[in-house]
Amino acid sequence: MTLKTNRRQLLGGMAATVAAPALLTATRAYAQVPTIRIGHVSPRTGPLAGFAEADDFIIEGIQAAFSGGIENNGKSYNVEIISKDSQSNPNRAAEVAADLILGDEVDIIVAASTPDTVNPVSDQAEINEVPCITTDCPWQPYFFGRNGNPEAGFDFTYHFFWGLEDVIANFLDLWGGSGAAKSIAGLFPNDADGNAWGDPELGFPQPLADNGYALVDPGRYQPLNDDFSNYIAAFKEAGCEIVTGNMIPPDFATFWAQAAQQGFSPKVVTIGKALLFPSVVASLGDRGNGLTSEIWWSPDHPFSSSVNGDSAKALADGYTTATGRAWTQPIGFKHALFEVAGDVISRAADLDDPMAIVEAIKSTNMSSIVGDVNWANGPVPNVSKTPLVAGQWQKTGDALDLVITTNAQAPDIPVGGELQLLS
Amino acid sequence: MTTAFVTRSTRASRIAMIIAVLALIVLAAAPWWAGRADLRLMGEIFLYLALACLWNLMAGYAGLVSVGQQAFVGFGGYMLFALTMFGGLHPVVAILAGGVLAAIVSVPIAILVFRLRGAYFAIGTWVVAEVFRLSFAQVSSLGGGSGSSLPVDVVRSLADSRSGREALAYWLALGAAVVVIGVVYAFLRTRRGLALTAIRDSEVAASGLGIDIWRTKLEVYVVTSAFTAIIGGLIFLQKLRISPDAAFSVNDWTAFVIFIVVIGGIGTLEGPIIGTLLFFALRETLADYGTAYLIALGAVAIVVMLKAPKGVWGLIRDRFDIELFPLSYRVRTRDDHQGN
Repeated sequence: MTLKTNRRQLLGGMAATVAAPALLTATRAYAQVPTIRIGHVSPRTGPLAGFAEADDFIIEGIQAAFSGGIENNGKSYNVEIISKDSQSNPNRAAEVAADLILGDEVDIIVAASTPDTVNPVSDQAEINEVPCITTDCPWQPYFFGRNGNPEAGFDFTYHFFWGLEDVIANFLDLWGGSGAAKSIAGLFPNDADGNAWGDPELGFPQPLADNGYALVDPGRYQPLNDDFSNYIAAFKEAGCEIVTGNMIPPDFATFWAQAAQQGFSPKVVTIGKALLFPSVVASLGDRGNGLTSEIWWSPDHPFSSSVNGDSAKALADGYTTATGRAWTQPIGFKHALFEVAGDVISRAADLDDPMAIVEAIKSTNMSSIVGDVNWANGPVPNVSKTPLVAGQWQKTGDALDLVITTNAQAPDIPVGGELQLLS
Repeated sequence: MTTAFVTRSTRASRIAMIIAVLALIVLAAAPWWAGRADLRLMGEIFLYLALACLWNLMAGYAGLVSVGQQAFVGFGGYMLFALTMFGGLHPVVAILAGGVLAAIVSVPIAILVFRLRGAYFAIGTWVVAEVFRLSFAQVSSLGGGSGSSLPVDVVRSLADSRSGREALAYWLALGAAVVVIGVVYAFLRTRRGLALTAIRDSEVAASGLGIDIWRTKLEVYVVTSAFTAIIGGLIFLQKLRISPDAAFSVNDWTAFVIFIVVIGGIGTLEGPIIGTLLFFALRETLADYGTAYLIALGAVAIVVMLKAPKGVWGLIRDRFDIELFPLSYRVRTRDDHQGN
């Protein structure tokens, strides 16, 4: 047999080769059961690993719930979740986000856990024009930390969580009922969260002053500080009875041990971020009892999952049964992240068009396991707020339990106990 | 009869040069044949290759074992952000300006750290990098400790279309790697390069031959700093977001680079190239295994250091006596038919 090629055939072949990528991307709509890919970035290893410890459990549950496919415009779509580890490193987070977008060609990218994960992933999604949903990071560091403009917003990146105004309101409610003197010690690190919380305009100082509290803020400390003596001396001199701030667990442990050594005993200690995880509070021993913190999600929240109908309690209990570990707050939000993604997939007008997916995100109006998600009524474009309460770690028997003690900001979440003073 | 003559080039090096030129042409055309993900990965490989070549020039030839090169990577990255956001410069201009500024900044640093030797020098450079990190964490207009994102308008100013931006970013990375390798190669072939090679082999003997060691090292340090900052600018043009911990990460910009050079073969030009390819091969296959990936990297480093202290290229060179970049002189003989 001889192979004959003439110019016309050659040109035709070349044209087909050039056109192939366009044809290949179009074939999904004609496949028997087409697949939608969700990329997921999360800090599975490194200092932020606590936020991601429930990843495997949540993703298994979600995959089981989506195993029958998601219905979109009368057609069933398979959902594939591709999860990548950011190693708690913003450089790596940007890299794996780009990998997911360019290599795995995901249709939607989702990410959670602190500005160090959420912001680099969102930036990559925005510039590469891929719809992106994120959570588990207060909205100010997310929005203003990315140089967001409240007039314009972002085109492809959407976020749901609470904001500093909610934390401030909750903390004020908590302290208002405590009877402690209105002199507050502030501990804010020089990192994304600390700078946002300590910001004179957008953070704590202004609302505290408006409500008659005197704030002693000796300045930003570097994360992983090993000596808080100057801070403690300043707080003692000003007679502070309340301590607040946003700290990572090792810094709080250092501060709290040194406060005991140097005889500083406040009545209420309310710290963001450091006191989220039962393991951290348990590591403080008896001095963990009575510390207060914001509560974004708990098994007592009266919400249930839109994908499998589980209540918050059922999800938390399922996690404890599967892993033998206590529930943590990020569990609910990680579940909700995939709930929202699933909801968007079911509603998008055309799943092959990123703009149509973005339109579906914009018009989201659903009840999830962390509350309602709706981007139409956020404080700035691209942000939807979830309810926030505050509470206290209290000893019940041998174990410490996080009890909701104030719910003025979200009255439908039930209170579980009364605030007890530390000293 | 036969005459002896001295030459640098060998058959292997001539063939290698031809292959390199052909490979370069193919690579330069990558935006037309590679996918978006491959383009980005190759861009990253070229940037790491450039960093590795620069560190190799410093540590392998000038004996300046710095573990503080992240200072200049981060400096270059921050200059890109500062000069585009507040100076309104075009990103490419800002990156080059960052290189010039880094050269200026590196002179007083060199005067300071050159007073230290060996391990003390290594720690000293690390301290300098930490000082950079803490200083940039205080600059609130660049986001302080929180970091900042590159405004979308700045990125869009590179090129109008997404594919245009991706191709340009790729060419910049490829160009940076070629320029760095070319400059290092050309430098090593000059008189200064000869001096540097002498310093590599024995500092005492080199100074005995009348080489101004301090000045030679300063030149290398300043040039390396400038190029490292330019590469840093290109890296953060890809990352789109900068924060002090990311910019001055000792793991990302120094530990991995040292790994690449040591695995490939320190003190050779071929070493960093082979090391970069090996590093990315490991990363692309193992990175999804979490901590196991870092354990594997450590194990590879230990095995190579024990079994092949001169790196992979050292093994190949000892075995086959080849040199792809003709740097050393060889005595050859040839039949001289016209001679009498």
